[in-house]
Amino acid sequence: MRARDPETRRPADTTDFPYSIYLPEAARVLNVNPMTELDSLFELELESGRALGHAPGQFVQVSVFGFGECPISISSSPTRGPRFELSIRRVGEVTNALHRLRSGDSVGIRGPLGHGFDVRELHGHDMLVIAGGCALAPARSLIQYVLDERQRFGSFHVLYGARSPNELLFRDELARWGQRDDVHCHVIVDHADESWRGRAGVVTKLFDELPELDRERTMVAVIGPPIMFRFVMLEVLALGIPQNHVYCSIERRMKCGIGKCGHCQANDVYVCMEGPVFKYGRLKALREAIE
Amino acid sequence: MLDGIISHQELLRRIDALRVERRLIGPVARVEPECMPPVRYFYQPVERADELALDFTYCVQSPKAVLLPPAEPLLRFDRESGKFRAGPVIDHTPTALIGVHPCDVHAIELLDAVFSNGNADGHYLARRRSLFIVAVDCPEPCTEGVFCRDMETHETDRGFDVILYRLDADRRYGVVFASDAGRAWLNPSLSSGGMRTPNSDDERTFIRYRQNKERAFEPRLPMPRRELPEMMARSYDSLLWEATAQRCYSCGSCNLACPTCYCFDIRDENELNGGGCRLREWDACMARDFALVAGGHNFRAKPGQRLRHRLYRKAAWIEAQTGLHGCVGCARCDRACTAKISIVEMLGQLAEEVQHAGTRP
Ligand SMILES: Cc1cc2nc3c(=O)[nH]c(=O)nc-3n(C[C@H](O)[C@H](O)[C@H](O)COP(=O)(O)OP(=O)(O)OC[C@H]3O[C@@H](n4cnc5c(N)ncnc54)[C@H](O)[C@@H]3O)c2cc1C
Ligand code: SF4
Ligand code: SF4
Ligand code: FES
Repeated sequence: MRARDPETRRPADTTDFPYSIYLPEAARVLNVNPMTELDSLFELELESGRALGHAPGQFVQVSVFGFGECPISISSSPTRGPRFELSIRRVGEVTNALHRLRSGDSVGIRGPLGHGFDVRELHGHDMLVIAGGCALAPARSLIQYVLDERQRFGSFHVLYGARSPNELLFRDELARWGQRDDVHCHVIVDHADESWRGRAGVVTKLFDELPELDRERTMVAVIGPPIMFRFVMLEVLALGIPQNHVYCSIERRMKCGIGKCGHCQANDVYVCMEGPVFKYGRLKALREAIE
Repeated sequence: MLDGIISHQELLRRIDALRVERRLIGPVARVEPECMPPVRYFYQPVERADELALDFTYCVQSPKAVLLPPAEPLLRFDRESGKFRAGPVIDHTPTALIGVHPCDVHAIELLDAVFSNGNADGHYLARRRSLFIVAVDCPEPCTEGVFCRDMETHETDRGFDVILYRLDADRRYGVVFASDAGRAWLNPSLSSGGMRTPNSDDERTFIRYRQNKERAFEPRLPMPRRELPEMMARSYDSLLWEATAQRCYSCGSCNLACPTCYCFDIRDENELNGGGCRLREWDACMARDFALVAGGHNFRAKPGQRLRHRLYRKAAWIEAQTGLHGCVGCARCDRACTAKISIVEMLGQLAEEVQHAGTRP
């Protein structure tokens, strides 16, 4: 938000404004796959054919005209071509309208928006990704990226917790990751049922599955609801991992997604611009982000 | 240094000439004997210059509505199911805003920065580029309670096309230009006698005007403006936020009245014919659900947290982000508040608290 040129008293006279930064571009729904009672995976493609060109951790604003617009993380990796996927939970006005769409329908997309993971900084490191609940959606973009660029990374651990087996996202993929030997993926649910043969409890329990990590070589991504964040951070810091090796993604209400409307502020930071992915050291200074 | 001297009559003629190409908006007096004060001023569209009250005290609402309307369509769309048809709505109506006091000129400068930084907002900028601004300086505080002098916004030398200084009682104005458009409008050579270049007497009158003005404004804050961010940095955990906010109604009137509040909501409105528009509407960080997300988590659930957020923006954060004033000291928020929560009083109380806490180790 810093003024580019404090001497410019009046907005530049150079451009006309035939377009609006609030105007989405059209995208076609290619596939809709229900994953849980509330969550479906939407495969989309921009009608222009342009690839989104996102980084893992970034989001888009998705519109259904007449209902509104809402921020949704991109849950596929940029390495997967021009098609992209959104995992959407129906909770309100816009997300319910999205769930009524079928393949062939159009939606509006603005983005990619915000700052995601700086993948170049992650290259060459061991990776530990910890996700809770719906946040496997943004985490999956990063997980796919690491798998697609596997030779650029060292050891790779994924810890994922959900409330119950029914609420697990990407179940088929979790099963496949569980069988690969180049990723160590552990899943836990708070409340097990008779179908569940895995572990039960909170996600921090999974830390006992981790081998001795190389502190200096390991990069950590923590993505989940505010309540999970605190407990996971305690474990991560207890491992002795340097704070500038930890990335966190945080949630806020968002309307514009481009640093104007003010809704997403955490203290003086516009999360839609500087985030949603932050270095832990930066978040620590933001009282509203961690309280 | 003045660029010209203009008589009241000539000024009105020139404003009427502007009307040929532009919509005119300016302060209009509304007389309501049962209200306090009985005469209040509002920015309104007018047809003729003599409808304007150029000697107005202050306008109840700030001029931000001219650039950022309380509700404006951003896009129009066609709602036919599964199809995508939408286009931007951009308003270029040429407008002259006559009668903007220095505090509000500073506030407009902030809006300019916010809407042109990073992602330039064509909706705002199209309106701004179509706007001609005639500022009117204040020889003395426009009303009780303002603290523009403390915020250093009681004068300005930029951000307008022309500024007028009312030099004496027979309504003679000193003129300063800040743009070519302003110069072209009041070009002395077009004069029928009412506009002329200043002489040394006029310059002396202008110096006296400014000396009198300096004396007319009393300080209301216990510290200079540049010390506010440091004071705020030490006030995050003050009990005053919660204590004061106990009487807050979370109505957001303070935000709506404020010339530097620009946060907004976006929502869709449908029309019966299958069309509709995506609207931008003013929003208020003091309102309960401003930071509420689906699922019920509210990132600023307590009124005290919201009050703290608003004051931090006004007294520290906006300036750190833009280099411009986050608060221009107009006291509109104080006047708008039914609960009598006053920003200038709060800043004073926080300052006192910080002073009592002594210097930091
Ligand atoms: C960066 C980011 C990434 C997200 N990624 C995903 C995702 O991958 N999958 C998913 O299902 N959900 C995601 N969400 C949450 C999703 O945006 C909300 O569930 C959605 O906005 C609810 O909109 P609604 O209209 O259905 O609900 P309503 O309750 O009717 O909400 C009305 C409006 O409030 C705002 N709002 C409400 N809740 C939220 C929220 N949690 N976050 C931001 N704005 C909100 C939106 O502008 C929304 O349009 C993400 C949120 C953010 C901020
Ligand atoms: S915070 Fe209050 S005093 Fe400051 S600019 Fe806004 S309305 Fe005026
Ligand atoms: S105007 Fe007063 S009561 Fe209303 S939100 Fe602002 S501080 Fe609270
Ligand atoms: S979502 Fe509007 S400023 Fe961040």
